[in-house]
Amino acid sequence: MFQLGGSMKQRFCDGISRRQSLKIGASGFLGGLSLPGLLHMQATASTGQEPKAKSCIFLFLQGGPSTIDMWDLKPDAPSEIRGPYKPINTNVKGIMVGEHCHRSAKVADKYAILRSHSHNDNGHTTGFHYVLTGYKANFADGANSKVPVNELFPSLGSIVSRELGTRGNIPPYINMPHPLTAGGPGFYGAEHAPFVIESDPVQPDFELKDLLPDEKVGRLRYSRRQKALRELEKNNNMTGRAGTMATYYEKARDLVSSPIARKAFDLGSEPAKMREAYGYSSLGQCALLSRRLVEAGCRFIGVDHGSWDTHFSCFPSLEKDLIPHADQAFSTLVTDLQDRGLLDSTLVVMMGEMGRTPRINKQAGRDHWSATQSVLFAGGGIKPGQVIGATDGKGMAPTTEPVGVADILRTIFYLMGIDSDKTYYTPLGRPVPIVSGGKLIKDLI
Amino acid sequence: MLAPMQASAANPDIWQVLPKAIILDGPEATRQITVRQKSSDGLMMDWTHQAKYLVQNPGIARIDETGMVQPVAEGKTMVVVSFRDRRFEIPLEVRGFLNPTPVSFEHQIMPLLTKAGCNSGGCHGKAEGQNGFKLSVFGFDPMADYIALVSESRGRRVMPEAPEKSLLVTKATGQVPHGGGRKLQEGTIPYKALVRWIAEGAQFGTTGFETMDHLEMIPAEQVLGLEGNLQLQAIAVDAKGNRRCVTAEAEFESNMSTIAGVDRKGWVQASSIPGEAAVLARYLGHVTVCRITIPRKGTSFQRPKEFNLIDRHVFDKLQKLGIPPSELASDSMFLRRVYLDMIGTLPTAAEAKNFLQDTSSTKRSALVDALLKRPEYSDYWAMQWADLLRIDRDVLNVQGSVAMTRWLKKQFQENRPYDAFVRDVLTAHGSVGAESPAGFYKVVTKPDVMARSISQLFLGVRIECAECHHHPSDRWGQEDYYGLAGFFTGVGKKAGSSGEAIIFTSGGDAKQPAGGKVIPTHALGAQHARIGDQEDRRKHLADWMTSPSNPWFSRAIVNRVWAHYFGHGIVDPIDDLRVTNPASNEPLLADLSKFFIESKYDLQALTRLILNSRTYQMSGSNPENRSDSQNFSHSQSRAMPAEVLLDAICQVTGVAEKFNGWPEGARAIQMWDNRMPSYFLKIFGRPVRTSVCECERSNEPSIAQALHLMNSAEISSKIHSRKGTARKLAMTNLSPEAIIDELYLGLLSRFPSADERTIMMDLFKAEGQQRQGAIEDVMWTLLNTKEFVFIR
Repeated sequence: MFQLGGSMKQRFCDGISRRQSLKIGASGFLGGLSLPGLLHMQATASTGQEPKAKSCIFLFLQGGPSTIDMWDLKPDAPSEIRGPYKPINTNVKGIMVGEHCHRSAKVADKYAILRSHSHNDNGHTTGFHYVLTGYKANFADGANSKVPVNELFPSLGSIVSRELGTRGNIPPYINMPHPLTAGGPGFYGAEHAPFVIESDPVQPDFELKDLLPDEKVGRLRYSRRQKALRELEKNNNMTGRAGTMATYYEKARDLVSSPIARKAFDLGSEPAKMREAYGYSSLGQCALLSRRLVEAGCRFIGVDHGSWDTHFSCFPSLEKDLIPHADQAFSTLVTDLQDRGLLDSTLVVMMGEMGRTPRINKQAGRDHWSATQSVLFAGGGIKPGQVIGATDGKGMAPTTEPVGVADILRTIFYLMGIDSDKTYYTPLGRPVPIVSGGKLIKDLI
Repeated sequence: MLAPMQASAANPDIWQVLPKAIILDGPEATRQITVRQKSSDGLMMDWTHQAKYLVQNPGIARIDETGMVQPVAEGKTMVVVSFRDRRFEIPLEVRGFLNPTPVSFEHQIMPLLTKAGCNSGGCHGKAEGQNGFKLSVFGFDPMADYIALVSESRGRRVMPEAPEKSLLVTKATGQVPHGGGRKLQEGTIPYKALVRWIAEGAQFGTTGFETMDHLEMIPAEQVLGLEGNLQLQAIAVDAKGNRRCVTAEAEFESNMSTIAGVDRKGWVQASSIPGEAAVLARYLGHVTVCRITIPRKGTSFQRPKEFNLIDRHVFDKLQKLGIPPSELASDSMFLRRVYLDMIGTLPTAAEAKNFLQDTSSTKRSALVDALLKRPEYSDYWAMQWADLLRIDRDVLNVQGSVAMTRWLKKQFQENRPYDAFVRDVLTAHGSVGAESPAGFYKVVTKPDVMARSISQLFLGVRIECAECHHHPSDRWGQEDYYGLAGFFTGVGKKAGSSGEAIIFTSGGDAKQPAGGKVIPTHALGAQHARIGDQEDRRKHLADWMTSPSNPWFSRAIVNRVWAHYFGHGIVDPIDDLRVTNPASNEPLLADLSKFFIESKYDLQALTRLILNSRTYQMSGSNPENRSDSQNFSHSQSRAMPAEVLLDAICQVTGVAEKFNGWPEGARAIQMWDNRMPSYFLKIFGRPVRTSVCECERSNEPSIAQALHLMNSAEISSKIHSRKGTARKLAMTNLSPEAIIDELYLGLLSRFPSADERTIMMDLFKAEGQQRQGAIEDVMWTLLNTKEFVFIR
């Protein structure tokens, strides 16, 4: 896991070139065996086994899901809080969810609901940044840029990409159907940026950017081109970056030519029944494609699912679109993964950047409420069929110890066998541990 | 005092056994002995680890197999060092053992915590501490750390009545669970120091200790053989000139572990790669280096003809290291390189052909002169400085971004003397929407951030660390940081009729945030600046900065320009000039800097000097110099910057990129808009302009890049376009061979080899192939070669 010695240069606030900063762990800093090194050894020693989660599917409900209407209902609260939905029983005794989550209710033994997630950033962009990087944003909320907002700190997926690398012929970190706003690589650099499928698999004209050669070229010409390129490059050994580029070309070629990779992206080959089971929604088809990518070896898939920012008359859209889509996509994904024997090795997380105000506002909507949100976890070695934590009778605050962003990230990394205390240095030499602070969600693992 | 016992007296020129006498003052004093021999070929052999050591009276002192001596009791004795048939005696005295000076927290405990890594940024040194115990990072605030240890946690951390039961001791030794593991071994010197300090009542105490003046390394420089070793000695020298061995307490690190690594005891291990490394020692905020040179063995080479002063210095260095330089690059390689480097633009097929057919012996320097006059020269350099000066559309809006970019372009068009250019940036004021660099002070808003950005950008001195703590490998502390910030306290903003304007007011000395201490305004290493009430404080800084005697100003820009043309600096990272990050070729950097000052800060003259050197015009690596990455023995391939690559693809396909809101044919290197959405620019690493660091531009290859070049609809449609080059060539009556030549010239600035021509002809001959299809296939293939994507 660690690069000891190697090509390190200075390690402080002053002397690190970008490339080196990317390679240096905390290891060299202390000399010999480092703190993270020890912690890592301790972590493995205490579990005594390899991490189970080889991949993670991260369903990001951006805008802030109304989990008070989904996973943590307040039937005894006044009507302006409890809303119109009723809790229903699930297949696990004692666990109840909202009536529009009836599909998930039938498979509640396959996932865990964390009800005590809480943090104090009530903005969207800043919240994206916080949840996806574990670090507070240093900009004001509202910046809506086409470039990733996490300019310095790497996102979850970029960290996974860096720590675990590829598994098969497929990029380790993929975003769909567009980039996660804070899903960038930060100071890790372009190498760990997400491979973005900027096309929605639910659309009939869904296509994969750059993955398949231009149709106009045709297979025959394409293979001739590849052959000519290989012949030209045969006698053209280059070292350094050009050499690295050559290996990426190999990988890219693998991706394009490998039947496994190609098949992974060919959503059309999925039986209609299966596509239907996931639901013909953006989230549903993204979840299905995610499963295919996991099968092909992708490490981290970030699905960006929008429109959860329901300030105005929220209930119609919640019950007609948002909740049913999420309910169907999540429950089918978890079931499907289990049917294929992949649930143990695949961690599924569904959350947004915040929850929503328990009190329904004057426009019949709910506003931002980062103090409470329920988060769903399935697979990857978690303990399913349970509820972790609780909120008060009005859903205003956790009544158990709040679980923060750093706790969630630390737990995800733990499940994937990534050492959260490993530290990298920014180009200006500032040490940035993978997760700063936080502790494992003990009940989950 | 060195006493050879053999008749064949050891020649002191050959044998160096240090020190000649040892005094260990206090129970925790130690002394490193080193045993070295000069071999007949001039190399130095270090036998410190092979020699045998014996203390005549083991009741007085102890020595381990690495030559480290420690006291056992008060008294005098002798250390006997033997190696093969040699024997050396070193008199040794232990004093201050019975009635030792009390242990000083500041002078003894702090370095111990630092060396164990306790106060590092990853452990208790981080902002929130670790598990409720916080130390100042790198120990910059001894008093706070002292209080944290002695007073916090209800005094459990240090308990003078039971020193060994103190939490500090039990945690550090791993007797009770410690997240950081075992940092201290029982019975060792640091352990004893810690226990004694606690037993004595854990005093902050400084009595008996002179203020440290500087740190010395022995040796300060050394030539080593491949895979050779060297034991370093770190010596702390106090104001009175007293010397104390701190090899055991100091931290060591190498700036180039691939060449020579160092362990925590100061034992250097050279690798099998020739080159140079600087090994740093750090102790109590002082730093110093030992420069290690590892020449290649038994290589001699004919010095090529020197084109100018650059080559003399580079060849001198290569000769010293035994690394032969590469051959002169071919015309086509030079042509392509110099176009892409200087003007960020690929030569056209016609330009390439003309140059290759030109028989003039001065055509290379003539080309350099011609390119300096091209509009793309100022476009490209304005773009690079727009990155560094952080022209950000989101902050400056369209008008401000356009105006500042235009100002930059003009500076390069007119070849504005660099000192005047920097003075304008430093003292910029007026409307942000006017053609000026004033926008910089809108993007960077706080005086201290202005100060550190300016310092990094124009002096190559990174003082950012010193905002919170003493710079770990330079001499700057918080006083220097806020001293520099004091030049910018008068900068303000005012709403005006034509948008916002940067103004200056009287300002004043800056305050240290913690404690509010007022720090007299001063430049780095300079005296307190006396600034009148009505003055622009920044002018004083500009005077100091652009003075020919400024130790950094000229070196920083010369190094920056050099790094642009060679892919890495003489000092690297390029904006990090300090003693502990030395130049790989100091005479070269010094001479270039002198040349630049004498040329009156003429950037074009500097550019000519660099590009007309044989060093710049070298070809790629050969087996003898492949592993050299520091000494400019060969040309290293570099990725084209994102904008340059995009423009090159547009040029060779004959189809311009459409940028939203820009006129047809606009080029990426002309773009003032850092926020312009572009998948291409994003994946190829365009910087977002959030810092003044050149390192923000990523040039790391990725799978997404390879896929995009191979398969993207965008590039495919350019190749296939009805208005494009392929179509135009198909419509001519040129033979396939001539078309292949044309494409090679346009994409790779050269003619194909016979083999390459055959491979390309196969694409024409393929069954069912259309003429335009074949041309497209050739173009696609060449566009995806590494030769196309990289500057070689």
